[in-house]
Amino acid sequence: MSSNQGRESDSGRTSSRRVGRRRFLAGVGASAAATSLSGCIGGLGGGGGGGGVKIGGVFLLSGLAEALGSASQAGAELGVSAVNEAGGINDEDVEIVFRDHNNGDAVSQIRSLVQEEQVDALIGLTSSGVTLSSAQAIRELGVPMTLTDIGTPWITEHDTETYGDFFNSDDGTAAGIPNLFRTNANTTTNTYAIAKYAVDNVGSGRIANIGPNYAYGEQTWDYFKAFADALGGDFEYVRSVFPELGASDMTPQINRVLSADPDLVFTSFWAGDAVTFVQQAVSQGLFEQVDDVFDTLGADPTVFSALGDTMPEGYHYSSWYWHSAYDNQANTDYVQAFKDANNGSIPSFTGPSTYSAIWLYKNAIENAGSTEPDAIISEMEGMEYEGPRGTWRIDPDSHQATAPTIIGETSTNDDVPYEGVGLDPVESVSLEKSRAQELLADSGLPPGL
Amino acid sequence: MSYDVRERVTSRGSSSVVFAAIAVALVAAPFVLPVFQIGLLAQVLIFAIFATAFNLLYGYTGLLSFGHAMFVAASGYTVAIFIRTGSSTLGFAETFGGASVLVTFVVAVVLGVLVATLLGVFIGYLSVQLQEIYFAMITLSFSMAIYSLLLLDPGGLTNGSDGLSIFLSDVNLFGVEFALYNIRDPTVYYFIVLAVFAGAMFALWRIVNSPFGMVCKAIRENPQRTEAIGIDGRFHSWITFILSGAFSGLAGALLIPLRTGITPDLAYWSFSAEPVIMTVIGGPYAFAGPAVGAFVYLYLRWIIDSFPTFAEHWEFFFGFVLLLVVLFFQNGVAGGLVRARDWTVAGYGHYQRDGWSGAAGHLRATLVWFYDLTLSFVLGGLAAVAQWVTDRLRWFSRTFDRQSG
Repeated sequence: MSSNQGRESDSGRTSSRRVGRRRFLAGVGASAAATSLSGCIGGLGGGGGGGGVKIGGVFLLSGLAEALGSASQAGAELGVSAVNEAGGINDEDVEIVFRDHNNGDAVSQIRSLVQEEQVDALIGLTSSGVTLSSAQAIRELGVPMTLTDIGTPWITEHDTETYGDFFNSDDGTAAGIPNLFRTNANTTTNTYAIAKYAVDNVGSGRIANIGPNYAYGEQTWDYFKAFADALGGDFEYVRSVFPELGASDMTPQINRVLSADPDLVFTSFWAGDAVTFVQQAVSQGLFEQVDDVFDTLGADPTVFSALGDTMPEGYHYSSWYWHSAYDNQANTDYVQAFKDANNGSIPSFTGPSTYSAIWLYKNAIENAGSTEPDAIISEMEGMEYEGPRGTWRIDPDSHQATAPTIIGETSTNDDVPYEGVGLDPVESVSLEKSRAQELLADSGLPPGL
Repeated sequence: MSYDVRERVTSRGSSSVVFAAIAVALVAAPFVLPVFQIGLLAQVLIFAIFATAFNLLYGYTGLLSFGHAMFVAASGYTVAIFIRTGSSTLGFAETFGGASVLVTFVVAVVLGVLVATLLGVFIGYLSVQLQEIYFAMITLSFSMAIYSLLLLDPGGLTNGSDGLSIFLSDVNLFGVEFALYNIRDPTVYYFIVLAVFAGAMFALWRIVNSPFGMVCKAIRENPQRTEAIGIDGRFHSWITFILSGAFSGLAGALLIPLRTGITPDLAYWSFSAEPVIMTVIGGPYAFAGPAVGAFVYLYLRWIIDSFPTFAEHWEFFFGFVLLLVVLFFQNGVAGGLVRARDWTVAGYGHYQRDGWSGAAGHLRATLVWFYDLTLSFVLGGLAAVAQWVTDRLRWFSRTFDRQSG
């Protein structure tokens, strides 16, 4: 709810700035003539800079994953406000248009943004399946697209010789396309962080998996096992169960996990599923019966605040970002700006990836001096960025950001603006491409880094 | 207010002028419309086939299927699998050279329709044993079973929740090179869809206007009486189910290239609801009703999507429009259009007989009718409220009397 109100206040700020620009134009000359003229001049003078850059955002904004999509929208809106405060792109305000891909037909929404709204660049998508099935449409449309919420490593894997072409073969997993980028850490880095923690701090024991019943749930478990083995862990994988996505009752699966008598439980729930799992696992006594519980994307303020004091302390939750994990000025400013714009709530785990995607476009378009897709793409390849998650860069070959992931211990010591746990201590984990290739070599899983 | 039997069973002759105008508009559309609209219109035509095929069962035979997504999915997956692996296994590229993509597509569509038809044969046989809500429930159950099966990735065929991604690449036909589906300019694909649409709609129109279609309507109106005159209603419904499934499969086969892939979402129950909503909006008792509904549904969604404020609550706005259609139009938009036409024709008759005063009289009569209707709504509502209040008061006083007595 608070993020909703936050969105309103944020868009209110954006529109007030737009009035400012209009007032400026009115000062230049007769308002109507000046508005149309300035469009022409912008088109000519900017050397392709074009009158005002328009960005399209496609997220799941209703239904099951609304909490996640709306948080991403808030992050992107904050990025747009910040870029506009810093002079916009080529001294023109950036505009962002959002679309909901809830009806499963993301391709129509993307086509509409590119062909009707004439956007110069795209961000978004809240589902790995939708991303993979729209990838060829995105490639054909040619407009740069930055993924901000997507886990699957396949979409940034270009090595079709080793892993097979996803689009043309039955078991291919390399689905990288030239105009696609990603600013969040993908499943490779995410599961590496958890596997490394488990190997370093526990080392051996029985592990069971419980995750959502779709590609993400299966993939995270595969990658986790591959990393845990490659890092020298001595684990026994005793059970793996997958409740339906959005299931209201997970008790049968939780019981099956408990009956396997695990020492550790690996989970990959996010948003509403992460809340349901914890509520039902607590009442089944799962947290007391095992030594530790991991979650790939559970470390999120919306999850922890929804759980309140139900969320037990001392378990290790991970995600792509946590507000207190980064001690740098950019992060301090970012968290403060997010709080100001969103009624004091702290950014979700997709906040910085959406926020920085807007900044990447600003830098790329200004450096290129053009909104030509190819010019933006070649500027973005290898681009370095310093932001809330420290300094990282876009890998020139895979187009994956070398962005870190976080893992921390659930604790009430953290300073959070809601009733419930935060993370303390919390650490940021990065993974080098070469190291990932080496660790995953035996498994045949693509790193996508 | 009800759309009575006489209106339901008498088919109105559709004016050939309207038909010709629509045909010309559809052929001319890609030359005047912006590129996004061409793709959207192709989608409208595909959903028009889907909804009309669905209505063969619903509007004509009186069987509400809540699982028609299964035909779209069965056919769609067949098309995707054949384009991805089938054609290369059979060596189409070597055999057909430049035309291989086109041949692959045609074979894929034929296979898709075949699979949907087979599905209709088996599931139809079991489903038509039941009627009414039980029929809706059993079709829903079958389609959800297929949805779960697709998620399970049987034999590595469907790739689970990630689905299958396809893209129709370039065709070289007698030296002319073109993309079968070019997302930046889908004109070629639009005309393929338009041709299939014309053929499919003609076939469906012939079906419903044949003795076979007449029996369908008889089953809808009175199944017992139909049986009594010697018709095997169950067998007839089964054949209708198969036909409906086959044409739904055809729509599914055409839809997949537009979406550049298929995910199990297309088998989910919410996708089965789409032809139902389209048919209700358009009007189930007119042949063109579902097609009109598909047009209204998709363009309404497009308009709602274009306004972020609407888009955020699109279900609400959509529900509101649906409510208006159901409340104020008999037999959906198609029924509304027919009434508007009748009204205009009647008005023109008045004008011819009595000049402008006649037309004014016609308009006045309509306004009076509308006023009476609104008044009866309001008065009826007030009367109901008054009745409720007096009933309560009476009950109170009776209770009070009894206690005091």
